[in-house]
Amino acid sequence: MIYFDNSATTFVSDAVKAKINELMEDQLSANPGALHKLGNRAVELYEGIRKETAGLLGAKPEEIFFTSCATESANTAIKGYMSRNKRAGNAVISTRTEHKATLECLEYLTKLGYEIRYVKVGLDGKPVMESLEEELGKGDVALACFTLVNNETGAVLPFADIAKKIKALSPSTVIYLDCVQALGKMQIDLASMGADLCSFSGHKIHSVKGNGVLYVRNGVRIDPLIVGGGQQDGMRSGTQSPVLAGAFLEALKEVSSGIDEAREEVTLINNYLRKELAARGAQILSPDDALPYVLNVSFRGFESETMLHCLEIYDIYVSTVSACSAKQKKVSYVLLEMGVDRKTAANAVRLSFSRHNTMDEAYEFIRHVDDIYEQFLIK
Amino acid sequence: MANVLLARMGEVTLKGLNRGSFEIQLKMNLKYRLKRFGNLKIYQSQSRIWIEPKEEDNPNFRSMADAEDIMKAVCQVFGIVSVSLARKFEGDFESIKENAVSCVKELLEQNPGYQTFKVESKRGNKTFPMTSPEICDELGGYLLDTFPELKVKVKNPDFIVNVEIRESNYIYSGKMMAHRGLPVGTCAKGMLLLSGGIDSPVAGFMMASRGMPLDAVYFHSYPYTSDLAKQKVIDLAKIVSGYSGRMTLHVVNFTQIQLDLYKQSPQDMLTVTMRRVMLQIAERLAIKYDCKCLITGESLGQVASQTMEAIAATNEVVKMPILRPLIGMDKQATCDISRDIGAFETSILPYEDCCTVFVAKHPKTHPHPEDIIEAEKDLDIEDLVERGVLGTEDIVIDPF
Repeated sequence: MIYFDNSATTFVSDAVKAKINELMEDQLSANPGALHKLGNRAVELYEGIRKETAGLLGAKPEEIFFTSCATESANTAIKGYMSRNKRAGNAVISTRTEHKATLECLEYLTKLGYEIRYVKVGLDGKPVMESLEEELGKGDVALACFTLVNNETGAVLPFADIAKKIKALSPSTVIYLDCVQALGKMQIDLASMGADLCSFSGHKIHSVKGNGVLYVRNGVRIDPLIVGGGQQDGMRSGTQSPVLAGAFLEALKEVSSGIDEAREEVTLINNYLRKELAARGAQILSPDDALPYVLNVSFRGFESETMLHCLEIYDIYVSTVSACSAKQKKVSYVLLEMGVDRKTAANAVRLSFSRHNTMDEAYEFIRHVDDIYEQFLIK
Repeated sequence: MANVLLARMGEVTLKGLNRGSFEIQLKMNLKYRLKRFGNLKIYQSQSRIWIEPKEEDNPNFRSMADAEDIMKAVCQVFGIVSVSLARKFEGDFESIKENAVSCVKELLEQNPGYQTFKVESKRGNKTFPMTSPEICDELGGYLLDTFPELKVKVKNPDFIVNVEIRESNYIYSGKMMAHRGLPVGTCAKGMLLLSGGIDSPVAGFMMASRGMPLDAVYFHSYPYTSDLAKQKVIDLAKIVSGYSGRMTLHVVNFTQIQLDLYKQSPQDMLTVTMRRVMLQIAERLAIKYDCKCLITGESLGQVASQTMEAIAATNEVVKMPILRPLIGMDKQATCDISRDIGAFETSILPYEDCCTVFVAKHPKTHPHPEDIIEAEKDLDIEDLVERGVLGTEDIVIDPF
């Protein structure tokens, strides 16, 4: 099997499985809210996990909250900030290439009467600076929402420049940053980055599904999305799960080491595939300077879904946002927003890698692409 | 007192000397369809079929609400017009009064808004000392006294209390309507060309309603159509089998045949040549599996392949009759039936026909015979058909 769909989800690493077993077998999975000594030990364990997680992300423990997934983190950050800071402004700045978790939150804010201003995005997948300046210049911007690494193209946000621009033109604007696809693939130091609110997902870094992290910089106040027993300083009620938090931490530990070496290896895979696929008439839609972990390719002569099923025959798994049916063609809104034409976008397939993919898999992938062209291309 | 189901027969009762064989088939179908509802006694008297639990406390007969599933299952059996849950008991008029009161009580509990009623009665057992009108009068009066909030209304009452005096006495109110038709199995089997759309499941349903058992054939073009599309067809076959009974779905691996057709016949004739090959494969399978006709969901003029010329062009390649029950129907009427039989929501799932690459932008809608000869001149049709028949996967579809 060749699994090139790591931006969708990743396999659970052995270390994470072992950690989960260890935490489940240990009687420490008592309710951290309990007053007896088992509860106290659970609190100790949980806070230890929180502290270590914060350390690896360059944050303070009290800035880190465990959630069920990155979508929950995004919802809490965006809705929670706007709900708590009604006087901060009536506008939110973002782009139309964000993940649905962000876009749907913004849609929700629109219904509440907020104005959402979308910054234009170029073919390189990056926000156009002039457009950003223009939207900021209109004033009243409470929140800016961006993604560090785009999930469909791997385009990397020039975040330092953007944060600088926002702080210069609209100093009170708070920045939410979706870090899901960046985690474990590039260095992240929350203390120095300049983001105020961030979301992270566990299952994209070889943890299990069901755990995410929300970062809220000290001094930024937001309303919780989930209220109840007041757990996690009231930011996220619901009994804490040391098992899931521990799984996240274990995965984070693993992907936090050797980031640069892993990136170099994945770059080799990416470069090889770019070259070979381009030679076969494919159009590379990921920007040249994208993170090498994502490669968006438009195959000549194959609609996205057909190519996906052709690859599936060879036990190769990729993904596509373009689903095809005779009646309606759904094409990636991210690619369209970048200015990719509809026909090219309709053939787009996303290959996404993890540090565990190998060059041999890349060679085999290309061999099977040749088989597919020979067998299934309709001339 | 015990609850039983009373199912009414329709067209079967119009049969002459062969009526018996239709009734036997109908009872067999009911037995098969209802086997998951416990040990049942299914027997017939006059134009009625009675379904009684053999065990004392069968949970499917306890109340109207409990009986909903079994009644729906009865309604899926062709040949039945309607079904009611009836109380069966022995005794004189006193016991009739007693049972009518508890019947009305249960009804009012479920439908607190009911205000008007009437009593209808049938007296098959002529030894019973009261006539039907007398039973209606007496019982109506008694119910009015017992439920002072109710009023009698002869035209369109909220509910009717039906009393039937036969070997036993029966009381029921309300009925669930079934799909009529003739019992499946009373005519030869047909081969349904099943796609993932709205029409073909309805066509299968309609032929099954005339007593025809079905097999189905589906042309799968993986990887151009996804396995989700195939699963959708399996799901649709299951829905149709709820009415037609067990069927075998023959999935033809059509990919290579379609590719060959694409390469060797003109673009604008592709739809016609493809359908001609499909029908021939279907006919071959039909003969192999003892079907006497093909069934399609074609409706005149609906799409390019369903013009009269295109239908003539596909019709001529097979000898078997092709039944097209939807040929003169409006699309809306087909959709209504599709909803009614519970297929619509599955039919409109978006996985069908990913292979838009195989569809010509401007297919020929009025192909001439000479166009067809020209289009097929480079094709080895026999080879294509043979390959289609050989590359078939058979999936047995049960309604449960």
